[in-house]
Amino acid sequence: MPPRKRMFRPRVCRFCTEKDQYIDYKDIRTLRNLISERGKIIPRRICGTCAKHQRQVSEAVKRARHLALIPYSGQIQF
Amino acid sequence: MRHYETTYILRPNLGEEQFTEIIERTNAIITDDGGTIIDVDRWGTRKLAYEIRKETLGYYVCFNYAAPGSSVHEMERIFRIDDRVLRFLTIKLADSIDQETIAREVEKASAAAAQETDRPEAEEGEAPAGQVPGGDKSEEPEDKSSPEAQEAPDTEENNS
Repeated sequence: MPPRKRMFRPRVCRFCTEKDQYIDYKDIRTLRNLISERGKIIPRRICGTCAKHQRQVSEAVKRARHLALIPYSGQIQF
Repeated sequence: MRHYETTYILRPNLGEEQFTEIIERTNAIITDDGGTIIDVDRWGTRKLAYEIRKETLGYYVCFNYAAPGSSVHEMERIFRIDDRVLRFLTIKLADSIDQETIAREVEKASAAAAQETDRPEAEEGEAPAGQVPGGDKSEEPEDKSSPEAQEAPDTEENNS
């Protein structure tokens, strides 16, 4: 078996590159990249966000869920 | 005075008059207490991600204001009583806000509103295209010091 190719993921937090960016719970287009198909929050080790922004992401996702903008579980429908 | 933002969802079948009535009553609670409304944004009717009280659609209203905490308490109490409000969420944006900042925010909000009326339905017209954001970042050089790089040899050993 040939050695498996390792996939390199972004090592830089996508929010750190933009200064003073507030992760908005109303901005579903950003949030849907940060949740899985099932509606779960994608872990930090996979999406590459830093700890500070991951906390903000999780807060924003939970707020959006409360307002029925994104589902608690299941696919996003538009 | 604190800077808050509240989003609430109304039942969709009420009609425009009742939407306006609820919005005005809510705004009145804020202004009567000495607060200032900065911006009211009606998102209109949109699909809910899940059913709330047997409703699949909801009329979203999002508004931005400066008010003391007590008026938020009062507003939420009214929301809980009112059967026409499906959901609400209040976010504190800043612990304190002075008159100067309020004036600036109001100006900014009205400018943004004016811009939006120039090109209506810009929000709805855009289809959610299958974008792959972060795809341009996937070519990042490997960080040797990252824990993942150290873990890699272990996984390869297990495979062979």
